Amino acid sequence: MLETFQNFFAPPRHMILLVIAAWLGLTLAERRAENHGISKDDLNNITFYGLIAFVIGGRISYVLQNLSAFSKSPLGILSINPDLFDPLGALAAACIVALVYGQRKQLTLWNTLDALTPFLAVFAIGSGLSHLAAGTAFGQPTELPWGIEMWNATRHPTQMYETLASLLTLGLILLFKPHQRPGFLFLIFTAQASFWQLVIHAFRADSTMIVNGLRQEQILAWVVLAFSFICLELIDPRPPMKKLIDSKYKGPG
Amino acid sequence: MNRTQRIIFYILVLIAGATWIFLSADTGASTASLPAPQTGFLAPDFTLKTATGEGYTLSALQGQAVLVNIWATWCPPCRSEMPAIQAMYDEYKEQGLIVLAVNSTVQDNPLDIAPFTQEYGLTFPILLDETGDVSRAYQVRSLPSSYFINRQGIITEVVIGGPMSEALLRTRIEETLK
Repeated sequence: MLETFQNFFAPPRHMILLVIAAWLGLTLAERRAENHGISKDDLNNITFYGLIAFVIGGRISYVLQNLSAFSKSPLGILSINPDLFDPLGALAAACIVALVYGQRKQLTLWNTLDALTPFLAVFAIGSGLSHLAAGTAFGQPTELPWGIEMWNATRHPTQMYETLASLLTLGLILLFKPHQRPGFLFLIFTAQASFWQLVIHAFRADSTMIVNGLRQEQILAWVVLAFSFICLELIDPRPPMKKLIDSKYKGPG
Repeated sequence: MNRTQRIIFYILVLIAGATWIFLSADTGASTASLPAPQTGFLAPDFTLKTATGEGYTLSALQGQAVLVNIWATWCPPCRSEMPAIQAMYDEYKEQGLIVLAVNSTVQDNPLDIAPFTQEYGLTFPILLDETGDVSRAYQVRSLPSSYFINRQGIITEVVIGGPMSEALLRTRIEETLK
């Protein structure tokens, strides 16, 4: 079954899984957007412009980092090959464009992030499945009975761990009532996602090692987890309805 | 849960996380010693011959950067990227780049290979994978598939599908030659 899945979504077809996840995530986020005071149109627009910026920004960032290569063959800038891409630059471009759009439309940051959370959670599931199909984000060799054959060894199915953890994260997010504090849903998502990354990276064989065998990704996940906890304590403790009642009671003066 | 309980919970989770990071620190299980067709692994070894009978063994090329490109004459992206590969070979061969173009002969017409080589003016070795062993060892599911191998014999980049542009080849080759 695993082999059939991997054959069907072999690279570069594994990208299809990400596209499907993005579409399903956006559909789910759309249904819940108004609970966070964000209209469907605004959510669609912010995602659309963000994705466009992601694609273009990823290519521009890659080109800027390899200017000498592109100066000799400038037409390569327009190449359809997805390998000419810098994911971090792409993410930065998407965030900048989303922030600019949000400011122009006067969307509040935390509410927008809450509205986008189901999209991110479903996308994380697609990412796990995409890793499984491509054989990336692979685990360390193991003798455990649920190990999978990959890259000439029986390995921890870290891609499955990632997918199951993302499913659990999505499930928990859907369980929360919509009228929580602004930012609550997003911060709960980042806390869970970083917690699972921290746990799962211990079983991965492709981590970036820093001093004494410590994994860079785990340390980064720990920092994000700590930041999420701090933000959870700092965000406005009053739910949106309470704030509305307070402002009405207070009146214009 | 009140604020104090929440903060205690956060601190406990963070302490547990930090402990986990130290407990799971890598004890030196490196992927580089295993041969597998994936970035970070030792490139699976093979010996193949050209149509004229000249033999090439991948492991004998350690110390040089190698681009293994698995292709077939009927595959449009393979055809499209060949001129770029040839141009890069001409530019970087003096710096130690070897291109091994492995024709997936098991799924190709051997009579088409020589005209193809002439048409594109290819000067790097065209190896014939007549049994499909190399395609299997490299777990090839799409053509073309390209593997950039550094001077230590470790795969630094895998590009599945194509065509690869000159810019992509140049960035990957320069990385491999380091």
